[in-house]
Amino acid sequence: MVTLACAWIGLFLILRKESMIVDGLAHTAFGGIAIGLFFSINPIIPALLISAVAVLAISYLRRKGIAQSDSAIAVMLAIGFSTGLIIISLAGGFNVELFSYLFGSILTINMGDLLTVSLLSVVTIVFLSLFYKELMCISFDERSSRLTGIPVEYLSVAFNLIVALTIVLSIKIIGIILVVALVVLPALTALQLRLSFRKTMLTTVFVGVVGLIMGLIISALYDIATSGVIVFTLVFIFAVSAVYSRL
Amino acid sequence: MDEDHVLVVEGLNVTRGGAQVIRNASFVVNRNDYVGIVGPNGGGKTTLLLAILGMIPRESGTIKIFNQDIASFRQWQRLAYVPQDAVNFDPNFPITVRELISLGRVNRGNLGRPLKADDWEAVEDSIDFMGLREISDKRMGELSGGQKQRAFIAKALVRGPEILFLDEPIVGVDADTQEKFFQKMSNLNQKRNITILMVSHDLTAVFCRMSRVLCVNRDVYSSPITPTVDPNELLRKAYGEHFHFVYHRHECRGDFKDE
Repeated sequence: MVTLACAWIGLFLILRKESMIVDGLAHTAFGGIAIGLFFSINPIIPALLISAVAVLAISYLRRKGIAQSDSAIAVMLAIGFSTGLIIISLAGGFNVELFSYLFGSILTINMGDLLTVSLLSVVTIVFLSLFYKELMCISFDERSSRLTGIPVEYLSVAFNLIVALTIVLSIKIIGIILVVALVVLPALTALQLRLSFRKTMLTTVFVGVVGLIMGLIISALYDIATSGVIVFTLVFIFAVSAVYSRL
Repeated sequence: MDEDHVLVVEGLNVTRGGAQVIRNASFVVNRNDYVGIVGPNGGGKTTLLLAILGMIPRESGTIKIFNQDIASFRQWQRLAYVPQDAVNFDPNFPITVRELISLGRVNRGNLGRPLKADDWEAVEDSIDFMGLREISDKRMGELSGGQKQRAFIAKALVRGPEILFLDEPIVGVDADTQEKFFQKMSNLNQKRNITILMVSHDLTAVFCRMSRVLCVNRDVYSSPITPTVDPNELLRKAYGEHFHFVYHRHECRGDFKDE
């Protein structure tokens, strides 16, 4: 379900040319995770809060013309990550748990986390199934969308918050560093095939889920780092589709 | 206020980047008018349209559509707008002609709900009206310039608007395509009673087919187009004293009026 949410979100992010926001938010969330571990609270909560603030700050900076999308993302990434580093040094160094967030630990996830992650993924999936036609409208041409009477600003903010939510959730699974792959690769794969919007959405989700399952199986069979294998599987599918569509 | 005044602009001033682009514009558009907006490049035609639609702020003046101030206007489904740069979309965006047109049916009323059967019927009608049937399943990125322009107009029409705003809707297409396009617009205006405001450089089409002209060059001059109006006198106000537009009314082809 998380991959489904990630992949679907990824399609809209790519179409809005905002895929780097994923990397930015994941690194910002690192600060939240460090805070959570330092104060011994569930790291997902401060990570969620910090990424939500970051994503709102990014859209604010951009809307007010203070910074462009990419530089706004860079600033937030730096603030979040350095917060994390400072807290780690206060705590006296890295520990194993922090590593599990950096690189993901899908196979060691506990029941409680599984439940939280699944429930919140459902939120993302429901949001996207309700509003995909509006999001499609906004992604295609934000300016003209205002003239349709749909609340472009609110939807953009809601979408950004959903992005932050999804990214923080998937950190638990694939880790901060590789989450961008989970979000971007399935959509990029589907876009190679030059399909209609509807089919692109379906393919994106399908590729995401298949890639994750294949990656899990391969990594279990050969006992190698799960998140690494998942990314490689997704890259492989992407490469195949890119070559195929050009034949 | 007269029921037939669908658009009323009074004392409109618009400044962009510190420069005054529209100065004290006042004019009225009646229901079922077919308005050509003409003037030199950089004269403020697009700015005027954007200001009317409330997409850029005005410095002063009133703009009323259907007798409501644009700032509080909410009946967007009664209007449709095709921007000048509509065709400059990302050609890799995965969207078919039919899907693009269906976006025209997205509005506040069906927020968060899928499109219904009558929405899709309207989409098919619009596809047929703009002659896009054969390419309706093609991706937008694969179309020629003229086809893209037609698809965007179909997207605007699918809303069933009462006023249609077009900003240079056809450029860079051959004369035949252009002629067919203007026939279609006349048809919309006369048979479907849609009020049209169109930015155009095609002065012949404007004076042959349309009912009113707005000459825009910071100042805005509005005039009905009648056999007694001298186009050159009007156009010189916008294009300058030395402008000469070679125009003979008899060159307007007979089938212009009632295609």
